[in-house]
Amino acid sequence: MSAHQRGTELDLSWISKIQVNQPAVLRRAEQIQARRPVKKEWQAAWLLKAVTFIDLTTLSGDDTSSNIQRLCYKAKYPIREDLLKALNMHDKGITTAAVCVYPARVCDAVKALKAAGCDIPVASVATGFPAGQTHLKTRLEEIRLAVEDGASEIDVVINRTLVLTGQWEGSDFIKTSTGKETVNATFPVAIVMLRAIRDFFWKTGNKVGFKPAGGIRSAKDSLAWLSLIKEELGDEWLKPELFRIGASTLLTDIERQIYHHVTGRYAAYHDLPMS
Amino acid sequence: MRIGVIGLILPPTFCFLEMMWRICPALAVGCTVVVLVPPASPTPLLVAQLAGELGQFPGILNVISGPASLGPVLASQPGVQKVAFCGAIEDGRALRRALAGQGPELGLALGAESLLLLMETADVDSAVEGVVDAAWSDRSPGGLRLLIQESVWDETMRRLQARMGRLRGGRGLDGAVDMGARGAAAHDLAQRYVHEAQSQGAQVFQAGSMPPDSPFFPPSLISDLPPASPCTQAEVPWPLVVASPFRTAKEALAVANWTPRGGSASVWSERLGQALELAYGLQMGTVWINAHGLRDPAVPTGGCKESGSSWHGGPDGLYEYLRPSGTPTCLPYLSENLNYDTFGLAVPSTLPAGPETGLSPAPPYGLFVGGRFQAPGARSSRPIRDSQGNLHGYVAEGGAKDIRGAVEAAHQAAPGWVGQLPGARAALLWALAAALQRRESTLVSRLERHGVELKVAKAEVELSVRRLRAWGARVQTQGCTLQVAGLKGPVLQLQEPLGVLAIVCPEEWPLLAFVSLLAPALAHGNTVVLVPSGACPIPALEVCQDMATLLPGGLVNVVTGDRDHLTRCLALHQDIQALWYFGSAQGSQFVEWASAGNLKPVWVNRGCPRAWDQDAEGAGPELGLRAARTKALWLPMGD
Repeated sequence: MSAHQRGTELDLSWISKIQVNQPAVLRRAEQIQARRPVKKEWQAAWLLKAVTFIDLTTLSGDDTSSNIQRLCYKAKYPIREDLLKALNMHDKGITTAAVCVYPARVCDAVKALKAAGCDIPVASVATGFPAGQTHLKTRLEEIRLAVEDGASEIDVVINRTLVLTGQWEGSDFIKTSTGKETVNATFPVAIVMLRAIRDFFWKTGNKVGFKPAGGIRSAKDSLAWLSLIKEELGDEWLKPELFRIGASTLLTDIERQIYHHVTGRYAAYHDLPMS
Repeated sequence: MRIGVIGLILPPTFCFLEMMWRICPALAVGCTVVVLVPPASPTPLLVAQLAGELGQFPGILNVISGPASLGPVLASQPGVQKVAFCGAIEDGRALRRALAGQGPELGLALGAESLLLLMETADVDSAVEGVVDAAWSDRSPGGLRLLIQESVWDETMRRLQARMGRLRGGRGLDGAVDMGARGAAAHDLAQRYVHEAQSQGAQVFQAGSMPPDSPFFPPSLISDLPPASPCTQAEVPWPLVVASPFRTAKEALAVANWTPRGGSASVWSERLGQALELAYGLQMGTVWINAHGLRDPAVPTGGCKESGSSWHGGPDGLYEYLRPSGTPTCLPYLSENLNYDTFGLAVPSTLPAGPETGLSPAPPYGLFVGGRFQAPGARSSRPIRDSQGNLHGYVAEGGAKDIRGAVEAAHQAAPGWVGQLPGARAALLWALAAALQRRESTLVSRLERHGVELKVAKAEVELSVRRLRAWGARVQTQGCTLQVAGLKGPVLQLQEPLGVLAIVCPEEWPLLAFVSLLAPALAHGNTVVLVPSGACPIPALEVCQDMATLLPGGLVNVVTGDRDHLTRCLALHQDIQALWYFGSAQGSQFVEWASAGNLKPVWVNRGCPRAWDQDAEGAGPELGLRAARTKALWLPMGD
């Protein structure tokens, strides 16, 4: 991850001057999805780039070390070797950006990644995920323990009570949602967040990262997200240090698209390694 | 009732959808259409192919692909009842002059420039997207005047420049580009404008590097253009944006309206009250709030001032292709030897008649301007003779100066009259009707002296009173809400007054026509300058005596004198918003020709008398339609 933010003084007047016009933002969101379609080999290239942004995630109640191991292996080898060879990308070190698990599973993840010989970071959700309604003391303890176990990134759930009463905190990354709500990452919301990131950068010089999470399942969606970042923030943000996609089934769809690009045929679910 | 054969002249920059939006309503009400399009794009060929597929009804849609110079030729074909022209302002002006007296009505939809008003309370990022929609996309019709409030100038310019960097130009059919090319003519026009702007001291920011002879013109942002420079007055071509600052909302409105064009505009502000006030105050045909470029066939789209007064879409668009039942077809009434330079220029001098015998006549009537009777500038009067040839009275000899004064007085009274509540307007019209009724005996005797039979005179006065009451009752409130598919939120269709309406009353029915024309104009919020009947102006001047006490000053102004001379002054005046002329055929032709000056909508009778006593012709909906214009106000909703 990038160097830590220096941070700035909280200036509430920046927030009170913000105006957002919802119908206009909705129109822009529709436009982004329709414009800038990418085809053929460029699409394959963008999809591989999208893979490098994925925080491969598993956040189920029945996670155990076996499925964590499978996940970590998939993170190291996200696309089948022969497909990458066909694209001449097998030696470029294409892995996902991180692996994202519950705090209790961080140990397993670290062990599995070491066994696979992979140095991608382990991210852990913490602080009473997903609702965030636990005591501050336990939340801080969770973070401490996760870091001790080997997690180098923490997805913090902010206290929504504080938000709704106007008491703000700072961060290195902003995430659209936990991924556990009914409506998660949508384009209109993202547009507003990205504009805020750009504003903050223009005012302070600090770059804050962005992570949409939840509801991104198809390769086409991921391409739309990439083009949104490129349009609103520019190429500088298209790096794993500043952009992540929180997803689990997205990788399968991307792999299937790559399979189709390479072979011209549609794959069955069992043609590709399980994650 | 449908009009008949329509000649449609379209510019090459129109897309297929826009062409169909003009053609389909004409066909729908039963007119047949001949379309003339320059062959610069393949779109007209597609229209022609569609026309060919209408096998069952051959000839209802005809497409001619030819140069714009064929326009007047098309218009002068016998049988063409109306010509609708869409295109550049100067071409529209030339066509208006060429068609004077030819016969067909002319509808003009000119210019493609739009305006964007960015207040400090706006969502600036979304407004920047609005600028992209307005000027830097393939859907934008023309360039953009961008007015930015000073306090958000820097951040807006920064965002605009960043956004311009992301625009992609390329071949139009490539799905991932924002802007294509529009031909060499458009490219040259834009290039010339940029060079002139630079020579006048403006800063030009262009995004993307285009090779020097590429057909693609880069999106350009021009700022620091001095307000007095010629470029500020000229129309902004595509794909340029000219940005200027303003300090307050009041200044914004003044700068926005300070242009001869009045097409479409958008207001960006998150404060509802401020946005609505600006939207109501803008002199434009279409206003969007927090959006730009939304279109729908159910919403009337048109303009005012030099953007032409023809509409398409919605009920107004249909009225373009209809005329009241029973109206005769338009025939050419061209008078070849009409000299536009000398028509009405000099007032024919009349020798004074011999010494008058009999009762000394009453002192001459003055001009009724600004709410009171005043002496004319020329300080002379003309005698009015009754049907026996005896002297009936003297009326003022009004001239150019008096017309100027009358129009100024009308403009001064206009804001107050527009601001009046509809109820107050109605009350004034009813009060005027009551006063007219009290004056019945005087009016009847005046009319009788001019040879009108007693019974007819009484009927005339009674009908005048009734018409005033009827129009008072029909005083419209602001307008209705349209429901537009695909938009969350209302679109208001507002009825707005035209401004100052000049009316040259006919010789027939001297009192009734005067009142029948005055009432709808006032009821719709206009202020009026009238020239009454030449032979019998005295009944009208009698009514003025009542208006002096009842109506606010300047609302109604009556100028007597040589009708041709006064018509000339009115037709050439640049600050009159519409002109209704009921006089001679030559006068009608001159009025049509001279209206090209500020492209004011005109209504002429081509020398044919009208049956003012018939309700269909004297009090029909046509009068109401011609006395007001529409504004479409789009209010997308959501938080």
